[in-house]
Amino acid sequence: MSDAAELPVEEHVPQSLRAAGALPRDDWVIRLSMTGRVREEAVARLHDLMLRAARHQVGRMPEGIRLGAARREEVVHSAADEATVSVISRLSTFEGRSRFTTWAYKFGVIHTLVEVRRAAWSGREIPLRGIEELSETPTSSPEAHAEGRDLAQAVREGMLEVLTPHQRRVAVAVLVDEIPIDVLAERLGTTRSALYKTLHDARKRLRAHLSAQGYLPAATATEVGR
Amino acid sequence: MKPLHPQAIDRLLANTEPWLSCDDCFEQIDVAVEDALGSTASLTETVRVHLAACPVCHEEAQSLAALVAGDYGLTPLEAASRLDAAVLGRRP
Repeated sequence: MSDAAELPVEEHVPQSLRAAGALPRDDWVIRLSMTGRVREEAVARLHDLMLRAARHQVGRMPEGIRLGAARREEVVHSAADEATVSVISRLSTFEGRSRFTTWAYKFGVIHTLVEVRRAAWSGREIPLRGIEELSETPTSSPEAHAEGRDLAQAVREGMLEVLTPHQRRVAVAVLVDEIPIDVLAERLGTTRSALYKTLHDARKRLRAHLSAQGYLPAATATEVGR
Repeated sequence: MKPLHPQAIDRLLANTEPWLSCDDCFEQIDVAVEDALGSTASLTETVRVHLAACPVCHEEAQSLAALVAGDYGLTPLEAASRLDAAVLGRRP
């Protein structure tokens, strides 16, 4: 895929950008920084890219499919509009470390993801329950059942002993009930990063507590995803 | 009511060091995805750990990888598995 649309750019490039070495590698940035017809056409092409990203993202999400065709199209256009504005407003932060299209697509993806989840969770209650409300761990064999029950019990007790009430509620909502972190952040009037930090601190406390009790082997306590 | 099943316990006990916020992950995700799909086929440790522990950022990265898969001569599925291999710290 070519990043550059077939727009006659040279004669429209401002003098300041024509200085030796001042031309960015990617024409997108130049065109979007100009005025007049060239910029309008570049914005329209950018919007097309954002529509592509939005349709792609909606199609990946079961919640997006369940919205129904009309509502889904509204969400796609709304997300593409917001993403286009985001890209233009953050154009000066583009460093050229990735292709412009990859950089721009991420705005289309995130705005769509947020819009679809917002629509899917609209009007739904999100109960923030305590660890004491969790039921028994289901396992297959009697041995696995006993082992799993011990660890589950230790995790429950650890959560009650070393986590704050806020850490417990967030950990249960996101890590046990699997409520999307961005949905919870919006309901609690906070940010995704702030909640992720809450989870990070809660996990750290819980791991230290369980390691001290001999429940966590060293490898489990030090590696993620391997 | 959901039980405290083994997968939930794994999520509760995941080690998310080195720390990276979701905002910082978003800032780096375009470069990270291109690294994972390109010749290095790997991720920085901070991004790798974050994507392994944050399902929402992981979904964004997967979606972005699928969107740009064609730029790397890959199908969306191939791009997704290459990204996951990088998140797991494996070479394709």
